[in-house]
Amino acid sequence: MKTFFRITFALAASGALAAAARAVPADTADLQALREQVRALEQQLKVLARQIEIREEAAAAAPAAKITINDKGFTLASPDGANSLKLRGLVQLDSRLFFNDGGIVNNAFVLRRARLIAEGTFAKNYSFQLVPEFGGSSVTIQDANLTVAVDKALQFKLGKFKSPVGLELLQSDSWTFFNERSIVSNLVPNRDLGIQASGDVLNGTLNYTVGVFGGVPDGGSTSNTDFDNEKDLVARVIASPFKNNAGSALQGLSFGVSGSIGREKTAAGRTSGYRTDGQQTFFAYNAATVADGQSWRVSPQLDYRSGSFGAIGEYVVSTVNVRPSATGAKAELRNKAWQLAAGYVLTGEDSSYSGVTPATNFDLAAGTWGAFEVTGRYARLDLDDAAFPLFASAAANADSASSVGVGLNWYLSKAVVFKLDYYQTSFGFNAAAPALSGAPVLRQDEQVFISRFQLSF
Amino acid sequence: MKSKNFLLPLLGLALAAASPARTVELLNVSYDPTRELYADFNKAFGAYWKAKTGDTVVVKQSHGGYGKQARSVIDGLPADVVTLALAADIDALSANAKLIPPDWQKRLPQNSTPYTSTIVFLVRKGNPKGIKDWDDLAKPGVSVITPNPKTSGGARWNYLAAWAYAKHRQGGDAAAKKFINALYKNVPVLDSGARGSTTTFVQREIGDVAISWENEAFFVLKEFGSDHYEIVVPSLSILTEPPVTVVDKVVRKKGTAEVARAYLEYLYSEEGQDIVGRNFYRPRSPAAVAKYAKVFPQLELVTIDSEFGGWARAQQTHFADGGIFDEIYTKK
Repeated sequence: MKTFFRITFALAASGALAAAARAVPADTADLQALREQVRALEQQLKVLARQIEIREEAAAAAPAAKITINDKGFTLASPDGANSLKLRGLVQLDSRLFFNDGGIVNNAFVLRRARLIAEGTFAKNYSFQLVPEFGGSSVTIQDANLTVAVDKALQFKLGKFKSPVGLELLQSDSWTFFNERSIVSNLVPNRDLGIQASGDVLNGTLNYTVGVFGGVPDGGSTSNTDFDNEKDLVARVIASPFKNNAGSALQGLSFGVSGSIGREKTAAGRTSGYRTDGQQTFFAYNAATVADGQSWRVSPQLDYRSGSFGAIGEYVVSTVNVRPSATGAKAELRNKAWQLAAGYVLTGEDSSYSGVTPATNFDLAAGTWGAFEVTGRYARLDLDDAAFPLFASAAANADSASSVGVGLNWYLSKAVVFKLDYYQTSFGFNAAAPALSGAPVLRQDEQVFISRFQLSF
Repeated sequence: MKSKNFLLPLLGLALAAASPARTVELLNVSYDPTRELYADFNKAFGAYWKAKTGDTVVVKQSHGGYGKQARSVIDGLPADVVTLALAADIDALSANAKLIPPDWQKRLPQNSTPYTSTIVFLVRKGNPKGIKDWDDLAKPGVSVITPNPKTSGGARWNYLAAWAYAKHRQGGDAAAKKFINALYKNVPVLDSGARGSTTTFVQREIGDVAISWENEAFFVLKEFGSDHYEIVVPSLSILTEPPVTVVDKVVRKKGTAEVARAYLEYLYSEEGQDIVGRNFYRPRSPAAVAKYAKVFPQLELVTIDSEFGGWARAQQTHFADGGIFDEIYTKK
């Protein structure tokens, strides 16, 4: 409105001056001065008109809220990107086919995971994640957490999320080399309640995480409450020293160590069981065994990526103090496990910790086939001999498991993947075990094909 | 068995010979004032590629203001190649989206800059305000047209050229800051981009002098007539170096890596360099430099690296939020 009046005034004034210039037969100097004034006013008028024009152009070109639908989900973002809401999903349908299993009926179709993932960011630095799980027999909350990003070098995360110990366990369920994580993940904590600080320092070559968590058993997750005074201190440091050396064969090398330390005092068994690749239990403590005392874990780990090739390796030592019953004598048990896994993308795409992005999607009409990856893995888990027979039955449990796996992953697109894995797991037994194990599952090597259809966006 | 072994390669050859020529589509995401250059160049490259491979290349163009173009590519605009005004814009494709490797600028000759330009003045016929050098732009009563350095890559080059002149001729950074302050007091309109600024000066007839890329000034003379405008070459200016690169992640996905690479390499060919000169950009090849020597006047040129320590530092010091330009323009 103000601008309108200014333009009107300028028009009127320039008109009046022009009329005056015509009407008054003044001397040449006066006429020249008047013409100059008219010219100056004309310029002012043009400037004002152009400013309005630019303002209108800017308003028309102002970015609107962005809606994005792609293989990363549905995203609604404010024009400046500072606020966003994202909806993602993960569905995994598995088929398990066991061979030479002594007549045990354990072949199955399993809805392994069915998650609707809500994520969002507010005011650029505050983000949240909410992950309900509809797979399995009951609905649970997998993740519910808030992140405050102070800086790249310092971010706080609080709520329920993965405890930062196991390398493969920290990788997204969608992008592991195999359908099932290795038996090593039996010895590291899964999801827990806590608060952690993390960040990238030294030009992104060092990532650190340190946090305080409620403390969960090996392979276990919190039940969303933690009513005790015993907490775990968890830390992880990962170095990627050649990350910024473009062209170096070691650019994709990351290595480091993680660990946890705390005290555990439980009324029930220390763990619900350690599972094979085929998700059958091969070890569980006696029901009366309780944790009582210090527990700690250490895990050196590495991840290497170079073009189509990728590999991970990790070693875990998990130590726990247990009693055979609430009043029995205490003993410290030390269980160990390690794995080495690798993948190679046959179609030439890059291997990465966050999955393979096919260069082309599977499309028969276009004659494109997506990406194919072959994978291989060896893993071994050794239980402390002292666990038998006081804390676990030698007749019903293995004291070691060795697993070999091979697989083929077909990425029809980034979002749709078909995986076919074969695993063979052999078991070792404590000297006190009978010749024929009391557990039917352990009487022969486990041989299983697991295929998976996955939708992940 | 022998006859089968003999027939198979023949069959392969026959199939290869019978395979139809393809049509390949490239998207070149560029900045505002390169429309005419690439319209010309695309035709020449299409003919060259057709003759070489039999394939037809259709190059689509996207032009827009600084930053916006890079942002669009980061947000998913599938550019096979980018030909932008600032190396810093292209660095963002690496840093923010990992679309290209960090050392992208080493992949083509001369820091991946197949042509250059500089900053000159465009004045009205007869040069009524007697503009001769940068000093004249800061005098009272002179109306200067230049776009907004916060939104225009071209405007940043304008600003830095002015700064470099004052630093050299008036004695250091403090004098340069004072000079820039005075100059921008004479700017009545800040357009968001270089083309908009040309519109303001030429079509809206605002201002006494427009600070302009040399190629844009020649374009105005060609389009609107040298009987209306003149080019004034200052005693010192800056060498503007708009770089180019293939967008690796996109060409891998689209299967256009070979043709995209050839497209940019062809900018360095004698024909490519001739087109560059014809469109008023300063060519690199000695033959084209000699051919267009009379078009482009000689003047003292500083570079962004030698004068300002590279784009990253210049950006941080002058154009980032709270930088020197904010300080000067907020005061105004």
